[in-house]
Amino acid sequence: MSNDEQGRTLKFHILKYDPQLEGDEPRMVTFEVDEAPGMTIFIALNEIREKHDRSLQFDFVCRAGICGSCGMLINGKPDLACRTLTSRFPRGEITLLPLPAFELIGDLSVNTGEFMRSMSERVEGWIHDQEQESVDLTRIEERMDPDLADEIYELDRCIECGCCISACATKRMRDDFLGAVGFIKVARFALDTRDKRTDEDWYEIIGNDDGVFGCMTLLGCEDNCPKDLPHQHKIAYLRRRMVKVT
Amino acid sequence: MKIIYTDSLIIGGGLAGLRVAIAARKRGYESIILSLIPAKRSHSAAAQGGMQASLAASVKSRGDNEDIHFADTVKGSDWGCDQKVVRMFAHTAPKAIRELATWGVPWSRVRAGDREVVINAERVTITEGEDAHGLITSRDFGGTKKWRTCYTADGTGHTMLYAMDNKAIELDIPVHERKEAIALIHEGNRCLGAVVRDLINGELIAYVARATTMATGGYGRLYSVTTNAVISEGIGTAIALETGIAPLSNMEAIQFHPTAIVPVGILTTEGCRGDGGLLKDVDGHRFMPDYEPGKKELASRDVVSRRMTEHIRKGKGVPSRYGDHLWLDITLLGKAHIDKNLREVKEICEYFLGIDPSKDFIPVRPTQHYSMGGIRTKPTGESIGLHGLFAAGEASCWDMHGFNRLGGNSVAETVVAGMIVGEYVADYCEANSLDFKTSTIESFVNRERKKIDDLIARSSGEEVYELKKSMQAIMMEKVGIFRNGDGLAQAVEELQALLKRSRNIAIQNKVRSSNPELVEAIRVPKMLKLALCAAVGARDRTESRGAHSREDFPARNDREWLKRTLSTWKDEADELPTQEYVDLDIMEMEMPPGSRGYGNDETIHHADTAVREKQIEELKKSMPNADRHEMQEAIMPYVLPEKYRGKNERVGVGYE
Amino acid sequence: MKNFFDAADKKSRKPARLDLIQSLSGLVLALFMWTHLLLVSSILLGKKAMYTLTGIMEGKFLTGGDHGFPIIVTIIGIGIFSIFILHAGIALRKFPISWRQHKILRDQMKTMKHGDTNLWYTQFLTGFIMFFLGSVHIYILTTHPAEIGPYASADRFVSDWLWPLYFILLFAVELHATIGMYRLAVKWGIFDGKNPRATRKRLKMAKNTLTVFFLVIGLASFAAYMKIGLEHRDRAGERYHPPSEQAELSRGEHQ
Ligand SMILES: Cc1cc2nc3c(=O)[nH]c(=O)nc-3n(C[C@H](O)[C@H](O)[C@H](O)COP(=O)(O)OP(=O)(O)OC[C@H]3O[C@@H](n4cnc5c(N)ncnc54)[C@H](O)[C@@H]3O)c2cc1C
Ligand code: HEM
Ligand code: HEM
Ligand code: SF4
Ligand code: F3S
Ligand code: FES
Repeated sequence: MSNDEQGRTLKFHILKYDPQLEGDEPRMVTFEVDEAPGMTIFIALNEIREKHDRSLQFDFVCRAGICGSCGMLINGKPDLACRTLTSRFPRGEITLLPLPAFELIGDLSVNTGEFMRSMSERVEGWIHDQEQESVDLTRIEERMDPDLADEIYELDRCIECGCCISACATKRMRDDFLGAVGFIKVARFALDTRDKRTDEDWYEIIGNDDGVFGCMTLLGCEDNCPKDLPHQHKIAYLRRRMVKVT
Repeated sequence: MKIIYTDSLIIGGGLAGLRVAIAARKRGYESIILSLIPAKRSHSAAAQGGMQASLAASVKSRGDNEDIHFADTVKGSDWGCDQKVVRMFAHTAPKAIRELATWGVPWSRVRAGDREVVINAERVTITEGEDAHGLITSRDFGGTKKWRTCYTADGTGHTMLYAMDNKAIELDIPVHERKEAIALIHEGNRCLGAVVRDLINGELIAYVARATTMATGGYGRLYSVTTNAVISEGIGTAIALETGIAPLSNMEAIQFHPTAIVPVGILTTEGCRGDGGLLKDVDGHRFMPDYEPGKKELASRDVVSRRMTEHIRKGKGVPSRYGDHLWLDITLLGKAHIDKNLREVKEICEYFLGIDPSKDFIPVRPTQHYSMGGIRTKPTGESIGLHGLFAAGEASCWDMHGFNRLGGNSVAETVVAGMIVGEYVADYCEANSLDFKTSTIESFVNRERKKIDDLIARSSGEEVYELKKSMQAIMMEKVGIFRNGDGLAQAVEELQALLKRSRNIAIQNKVRSSNPELVEAIRVPKMLKLALCAAVGARDRTESRGAHSREDFPARNDREWLKRTLSTWKDEADELPTQEYVDLDIMEMEMPPGSRGYGNDETIHHADTAVREKQIEELKKSMPNADRHEMQEAIMPYVLPEKYRGKNERVGVGYE
Repeated sequence: MKNFFDAADKKSRKPARLDLIQSLSGLVLALFMWTHLLLVSSILLGKKAMYTLTGIMEGKFLTGGDHGFPIIVTIIGIGIFSIFILHAGIALRKFPISWRQHKILRDQMKTMKHGDTNLWYTQFLTGFIMFFLGSVHIYILTTHPAEIGPYASADRFVSDWLWPLYFILLFAVELHATIGMYRLAVKWGIFDGKNPRATRKRLKMAKNTLTVFFLVIGLASFAAYMKIGLEHRDRAGERYHPPSEQAELSRGEHQ
């Protein structure tokens, strides 16, 4: 928020393409915006929509970096646009592209929701416990080691923004590859003592080249996750566990 | 015309909507959830601080139970709530939390032994009991007697929403994303579903269901600065209002949170103060004890927000280019604590302010945060005007928060309401079949289509963004923390003018499919109606109660205003809501109106209060051997679905 | 509780084994190559040192004679070649299988400019190169096991025109091996410890240091062989004998 950014004119180069419109072609369009102190890309995009292009599509919900809606490529890197201050770009040129590897809805908006749901279905991302339904809710809850709870939370912090998916060349080359967010989910549930799945069960989900053995350790996930999840560590951990199954 | 049939239609994929869907699904009814966005992105995810439930495991929460939670909530509401609903809530909240624990929420747990905490600006060592090791722990929050707020670091809402949505995925409940309900369909006073616009291809779809539940969250975006998500625009609430027969309630009851960062209004959780953070002024002086020597920073939200505003008005604010603000100081909690328990806060400070909260003070100001009002329902969650329409969560007003909600009581409400209302939705599906005339459905869809056609066809008219901005500015300025008669009268007038203009919106982008401007054009007139309900409600309520604070009527006035406001929009052509009032019957209350214990009590009491107090006194005397449950039952019986009636076990005291 | 999944149609364990083999073979190859380079670089200590070392490797100390068992070289050669091919074969499965995939990969690299992804691509390219050039090299040595020595090797560099191949191969193998070892560590989380992120930073430093270290040694040896080869050009084919042996030899000739 320093003063020297005041008075700058920012140049936004944005991909425009609406697949809903027949004959529309992808193209880059440049918009100019006067920078305001503390301006985020969220603020700038709204201004562009109001003042320059009413059709511009993008997704923001919480605008606070917690809901994972606003992932996009910001000067090539996947990140959350809502919490990216424009002052971070000394040259004042900002190129915005929709996250690759997801279905494009239009302009900067992509369908991460559907992707994440099917990822969840694929790894069966919920607690598997046949006794669950018979738990008596009036009784004191099952105890859990406080450290374990903290560790699970570390992984539960994933906001399903999709940045790790877009940052993974493996995922982009191979459609069926599960992708880093899937590994994080698996690691999260594998850690959780409430989930009764065994390593054999996990092997059924990630024990192939579309799963953990397909990961080439490119670590784009690790380096681009806005929530700093421990991808490298956890994928390695899963790999070791899965190799032990054999 | 595309029609989708289901048993239970749920509009809204936040905590409340998901939980209702799960309840209905478990009872064997097909459920479909509609949401503007993927369910996991709903605003419930933003709740950081925690969820209240009287588990009483941590040493500072020992002795807590439903009774104390009940009393805190009623006091917090400034006696504006429905006490039976609060009882239902307080009794079910522990079960809700325990259920979520089995579904995977990694609640932070008690660690036996000593730990350092900050209480009243001092480091104190407390000792957690061995018997509680590994149980769900809790932290302090505003307006509560005990440490009752359960949490997962400061990502509580996030972990709850994820566990809930995962459960819904397990149960194979479809979530139809990027769909917006733009009108309810009803035949007479029976709700049949909703007209829904696909936000990607623009198609209009009729969703027809035996029971329809509105769980669309709050309407913070009526204000220019709010902690709420950009989708919290109250459209669900508004389309209920537009039926003309489903009343809204207490729309003037709007909460301001003390600590949102300046200027963007992003929230830093109440957990900051709960864990020991302090509010300071331009001189670095901790000022809250001057105003509220008892609860200090941890007074009820409405109180803290007002005190902060008062203090700023006294010239004690910190000047900045965005106006005056105050400081939130959490440096005294230490880096380790912040890194672990206030991570989101830390990230927000780093990314949006470029500061390190373990070293720097955070600039904060009270900001619009929560809407206590909403679709008026019975304790079952069913609308009092439209059969087959249910509401749950922030969108509803079954009325457990009255005129001010306590921190941590909202996510708790969403889940508890989801559990309870979900059962009643299932009951409704069981008792009612779907019979209707196809022409009804057609006429509703056609009506909406025509509106959109007209919007697109209109070549010149009003600018939608301009109308929206004006509305937000009026609300901010005149229907804010402190209100007064003149300002409110002006607000109503101006909003009314805007509403008229909104009937002549013309849009530039004429595309029928995905079109953000069209979305705004559909929403803004609806939002204006909500804004008018709030402004009219505030103008007419000549007292101060909870978050509704009138400078010209500073006292709470039970004698004339122990009432609930009901708003209906009888006719599309109307320019104002029709307001009605319903008394809150003191003679049925378990806790007759008293003092909240803040400032000087200037309450103008109702004659019934003393009568009821005496009555309860006598009742208590007449049952010397009754335990607390029997006593409660005798004073104010309430109904709960069978499965949630059981007493709650607590460590050390059992089912006592 | 037992499996949630039907035990009948269990997933194949093959991918797990292949992944492990990929890494183990890579590890063996990398260790071999590092040793190999240190051996080859003995030339820096002088012709005699290299000669002696070659002798030790060939087991001359066993026979005490002139030639030792060059067959050892052939055996190692075949062994390494098998691992080499195995490793390459498994790695092939990770290659972009179509032009489209390759283009996606390149596009991704261009927009993201992500270090570790670029490293992988380097491995892919160098692996590809080694597959051809390395095979040629191993073939030559395996079939001429006795022809290793200060002059023989230097002649191969210069007179047999293998220096361009070696030059390329040198860069390829050093990059590939050090990147590979780094990848091995992060892939299996071997040194993760309490702070995997800090570990990774350190590993990367180590990787860079090793690359430089081996390249420097390699280039120096390269230069040494070139120098000897050039000087020895007109006597190409002649074998090196250390001064002591030479003395012996000449004595014998006199008899
Ligand atoms: C920043 C912040 C922090 C908070 N922290 C806490 C806390 O610590 N503790 C606490 O108790 N409470 C907290 N609250 C309050 C609490 O989070 C919310 O009140 C609660 O989560 C609301 O849940 P909900 O299910 O009612 O609605 P939401 O979670 O808001 O969900 C609304 C859903 O409705 C959908 N929807 C809306 N309109 C339509 C439409 N027209 N058609 C189709 N779908 C629609 C949306 O897509 C969304 O899925 C906080 C609130 C905020 C803003
Ligand atoms: C034919 C030649 C070779 C090819 C085509 C090849 C290819 C590859 C590829 C593509 C990888 C990455 C595998 C992955 O991402 O999972 C790899 C890994 C590796 N390679 Fe090679 N390589 C070859 C030869 C060598 C040689 C000669 C060495 C030794 C210097 C070597 C050492 C390694 C190591 C240590 C790894 C890391 C192992 C792992 O990631 O599991 N490779 N190789
Ligand atoms: C069993 C197998 C191998 C043997 C016995 C062997 C032996 C040798 C020898 C003796 C030399 C010295 C030059 C010469 O005599 O031609 C040499 C050089 C070299 N070898 Fe190998 N090698 C083997 C495998 C490999 C492999 C698999 C690679 C790489 C893929 C490789 C890369 C090189 C390089 C780059 C040089 C030149 C070194 C320099 O310039 O410093 N070698 N090798
Ligand atoms: S793991 Fe990180 S990058 Fe991937 S979806 Fe989750 S939060 Fe986003
Ligand atoms: S970027 Fe991709 S290849 Fe593996 S380490 Fe991450 S998933
Ligand atoms: S809008 Fe929610 S993370 Fe950016």
